[in-house]
Amino acid sequence: MKHYVLKRLGQSVLAVLGAATLVFFIIRLSGDPARLMLPPEASEEQVTALRESLGFNQPLWMQYIDYLKNLFTGDLGNSLYYKESALKLVLERMPATIDLAMFAIIIAVTVGLLAGIVSAYKKNSWIDYVVNGWIFLTQSLPVFWIGIVLIMIFAVNLHWLPTSGNRGLESIILPALTLAAYPIAPIARTMRASLIEVMDKGYMITSQAQGFSKPSRILKRGLKNAFLPVITVISLEFGVMIAGAVVTETIFSWPGVGQLIIQGVSNRDFPLVQASILVISIIYIAITLVTDLIYHRLDPRIKVH
Amino acid sequence: MKKSKFLLILTLLAVFAAGCSTTSKSGAGEEATGEGQDQKLEITIARAFDVNGLDPGFLTENAQVVDNIFDTLVKRDAEEKLVPGLATSWSQIDDTTWQFKLREGVTFTNGEAFNADAVKYSLDRVLDPANNAPTASYVSTIQEVNVVDEYTVNVVTKKPDPLVPTRFNRYPTEIVPPKYAEEVGQEQFAQKPIGTGPYQFVSWDKGSNVVLEANPNYWGGEPDVKKVTFRSIPEASTRVSALLNGEVDLITAVSPEDREKIESSSTARLSTVERAGNTVYVGFKTDVKPFDDPKVRQALNYAIDVKSIVDKVLQGAAVQTNSLIGPKDFGYAGEPEGYSYDPEKAKQLLAEAGYPNGFSATLDTVSWYIKNTDVAQVIAEQLKAVGVNIKVNNVESSVYRTLVPAGKQSDMYVLGWSSTNTLDADAAIYAILRSGESYSTYANKDVDAKLDEARSVTDEAKRKQLYQEIQDEVLKDAPRIFLYQENQYYGVSDRLKWDGRVDGSIPVSTISAGNE
Repeated sequence: MKHYVLKRLGQSVLAVLGAATLVFFIIRLSGDPARLMLPPEASEEQVTALRESLGFNQPLWMQYIDYLKNLFTGDLGNSLYYKESALKLVLERMPATIDLAMFAIIIAVTVGLLAGIVSAYKKNSWIDYVVNGWIFLTQSLPVFWIGIVLIMIFAVNLHWLPTSGNRGLESIILPALTLAAYPIAPIARTMRASLIEVMDKGYMITSQAQGFSKPSRILKRGLKNAFLPVITVISLEFGVMIAGAVVTETIFSWPGVGQLIIQGVSNRDFPLVQASILVISIIYIAITLVTDLIYHRLDPRIKVH
Repeated sequence: MKKSKFLLILTLLAVFAAGCSTTSKSGAGEEATGEGQDQKLEITIARAFDVNGLDPGFLTENAQVVDNIFDTLVKRDAEEKLVPGLATSWSQIDDTTWQFKLREGVTFTNGEAFNADAVKYSLDRVLDPANNAPTASYVSTIQEVNVVDEYTVNVVTKKPDPLVPTRFNRYPTEIVPPKYAEEVGQEQFAQKPIGTGPYQFVSWDKGSNVVLEANPNYWGGEPDVKKVTFRSIPEASTRVSALLNGEVDLITAVSPEDREKIESSSTARLSTVERAGNTVYVGFKTDVKPFDDPKVRQALNYAIDVKSIVDKVLQGAAVQTNSLIGPKDFGYAGEPEGYSYDPEKAKQLLAEAGYPNGFSATLDTVSWYIKNTDVAQVIAEQLKAVGVNIKVNNVESSVYRTLVPAGKQSDMYVLGWSSTNTLDADAAIYAILRSGESYSTYANKDVDAKLDEARSVTDEAKRKQLYQEIQDEVLKDAPRIFLYQENQYYGVSDRLKWDGRVDGSIPVSTISAGNE
């Protein structure tokens, strides 16, 4: 067990480092922040001077080494756009993103599990087909479109909810629904498949022979055993949501990290994008790690690959 | 095993709960409701982006928000005429010296007095190369600012500069309080600004909103709007929805597709500012074959039906023009007669230039301009009709902004330019026509000389004449396909009286309650 934990921890650190390296190089492939920080009229000399003062005229590998050095001292640099600590900006925005992901995952889990259980229970009935068709639909509609339609219906036409911003409970409903639309599908599908598989197991058949009714069989024996793979999917989807709130946050002007990333990328705000991606990777990898460790505890057959 | 599974679920629940406990603070801003608007008008304005700081000397975006907190020496009235601001008068005392007489008895909202020292301090910190002010280029003609007495400053320029009063209307020349600015430092000042303007800073919730309230001691009198919240809503259609839903009262950057939605609303109206946007054109690299031949460039102008593009593709969201300069800009001399749509003439000119069978080229576009990809496709089709094969190449916007100044764009490229809030021909054309400038792919010695002269003589009649000559010569020489100038649209709630301005500013003190 101890060996396993250490090995997984090591892998996690490597993964974070990998993400940090990738984002460093990818964002530098496409554009020059000095040009973007100055108005179009600015002269070439002015651009060069700014580039030098920011240290972007140094060779890439030197910049990378500096970046790594600073990374290990916890210094992620100042945002070029806001001229403040990039890490501070990201951490300030993180709660809003986590709130949103939290709400969304609760919606997705509730709907997804229900849909999965119902369609497994009524396997190959018309309900199964309707549920699956509907899930297929929500998964193929672009998030962007879902968001705008929700705004049109619930804000503009019905006046029930605000269109955007972050003003307490009522303003989180639409973005959370939008963000939840996608992960409902994998949750429901995993639930359905896993439950169907469990239902064919020997102990289920035994319990049928013992005279339990179908609903009580599913509730008492089936769900408990079918739940394990679903938990993995849920925890992964939660990580994906934190990273994937970019579009949703932009549509609803939700002041989270997603919006910050969009802004950072379009300004080529290197430190800000690096800090955002780093923090998100750490959260994502931590969630995966915790899930794996719990899993390993439950089922020691699971090995490090 | 049973116990472990229970434990697992519990752990996951705990993780979720931990996240939930960070639930955000709610309801910082108040809803914009109609109640009590006679006594206390409170409004919300939604823009496409958040401010990145509130120090006018170091902005990288426009000064829409900041201009309400600070004053400039010179202001613009409703007709965009230069009028006294913190300076009561100004005059040129020799070729390179302008003298400003300052308003007496004005104080910053922290009590600090406004005087000549404050003007000098505000400019010096922007001019200091060590400070790397992003918009230093807007004032780079200034040599120094000298304090003559408490309420008089002399601005000395490196060369004669006719645009000094204009420069003192625009960021980065807003006046900041020296003592406070020194005390808190640059970074803090950008978070908690203090100025002399009609509004004072209340709060800035990053990524969400900036709140300002009326300055009760404003020298220009107290404005109607007592409190204003600037929200950022990046998505254009959400902005419109927020207006129609009554959450906000004024929105900027309405996309042309959304005009109808606002026009048909019973609670808001569309404010159209004709030709307030960029003058969009297709630039040629005039030193590259076949575009080095004026005949080819003229031919391509004849080949494009600009009117149908404006009417059908842009649905009237722009105005066709052959003028380099916008109608509100100094130097505008009416609409010159340009190239009519005449594909036959285009073919004939191409044949004369030695391209009877046309040629192939690439046209770069970017999403900055209204429906630009569609416009580029139509241009490509119309050019195909005269034998010119165009490949349209869409470039990502931040890439384009570094590509073009480096001269790395294709031989044909879409670009738009405007005088922004200088409202002067110099800003509208110098950077895109003067040889050697980052955004120019044109080289004409005569035009160069005239452009240089026009920015260094202060005689208005002479300047006008120079711009007229430049206009004529460029139209004939055709270093671009002349297209159109875009309109700008705002959405305004019916409870407000206000219209969009050509200079793009939103002086909240000019907004009043309007139940018409």
